[in-house]
Amino acid sequence: MTTNDTQMNNYLARLRAALTGMTLAEREDIVEEIRTHIRERCGDPQTSVEAILAGFGPADELAQQYRTGLLVQKASHSISPVLLLRATLRWATTGVEGFLVFVIALFGYGMGGSFLLLALLKPLFPRNTGLWAGPGEFSFSFRMDATMTNPSSPVHELLGWWLIPVCLVIGSLSLAGTTKLIQYLLRRFRWKVPLVATTQARPTMMVM
Amino acid sequence: MAQLQFNTPDLEVTDKWEAQMRKGCLEMAVLASLWHGRLYGLEILRVLERDSRLVLSEGTIYPILNRLRVEGLVQAQWVEAEAGHPRKYYELTQNGRERATRMAETWTEFSAALGRLIGPVLKDKELERAL
Repeated sequence: MTTNDTQMNNYLARLRAALTGMTLAEREDIVEEIRTHIRERCGDPQTSVEAILAGFGPADELAQQYRTGLLVQKASHSISPVLLLRATLRWATTGVEGFLVFVIALFGYGMGGSFLLLALLKPLFPRNTGLWAGPGEFSFSFRMDATMTNPSSPVHELLGWWLIPVCLVIGSLSLAGTTKLIQYLLRRFRWKVPLVATTQARPTMMVM
Repeated sequence: MAQLQFNTPDLEVTDKWEAQMRKGCLEMAVLASLWHGRLYGLEILRVLERDSRLVLSEGTIYPILNRLRVEGLVQAQWVEAEAGHPRKYYELTQNGRERATRMAETWTEFSAALGRLIGPVLKDKELERAL
């Protein structure tokens, strides 16, 4: 085995190890394509294997590009809040726009989840869960002080058992709306999600 | 007429802007490179460099091709090459051809409209050079 082969194999081994979250077949397909490329370019006597590997960048960064591409692609067609939040979190590391999208996603899912949680808590703690209204207060919340049982309290619960369907509807709409919005933003602006976060020094004419 | 002088920070901003602009065109450029038929990764790099002066690093093109494949815009197939080792060829799917067409139309309309706007800028620059 030549020195070039050793360098290439070491690089491909690091790449294979870093290509997590995909099937074995997908991983091997990527590794074989990179191997073919390196071998073909090594056929040019003026090109060194070091220069070729430098063109690919560090193996973990190359793997990250594959993973990010697949993550954004999968998330833009997924309804999984976890996947969508992971994709927006990845976007958030790249700039203000991404950060805003991540905050929107966090707020939307947080609000949706809170309403669904209130609907679940209502049957368990009927006196503590509700839409509370009073001086300076109007909120859906869980209150530790059972104000429903205290007629003299200035704060009153408004919805009673209607709280459950109302919270279910608002929570579901919030989750669905956030999902649709994030899917749309990922599809519309996915090219803005850099495939790699850290940039390596490259000639200025290069795109990336 | 005073000559325009660019200091280093201005040039850096311009370089970044150019890089962002090229990056935005990357998907269209890769799809367009496959318009006449299937190519493998290294061929795509060469076509982009030769025909559009888009110089991509190896580490950029393959993840993009993979993403386009997952999106159903290109399909990939390993083909045994005469050189002895198989190559992974990419070709446009019907969706890819439609996407490339739409992008090319949008780009052409946009650049024509912008061309009218920036025409005077270049005309003034040519006059400066002539003087």
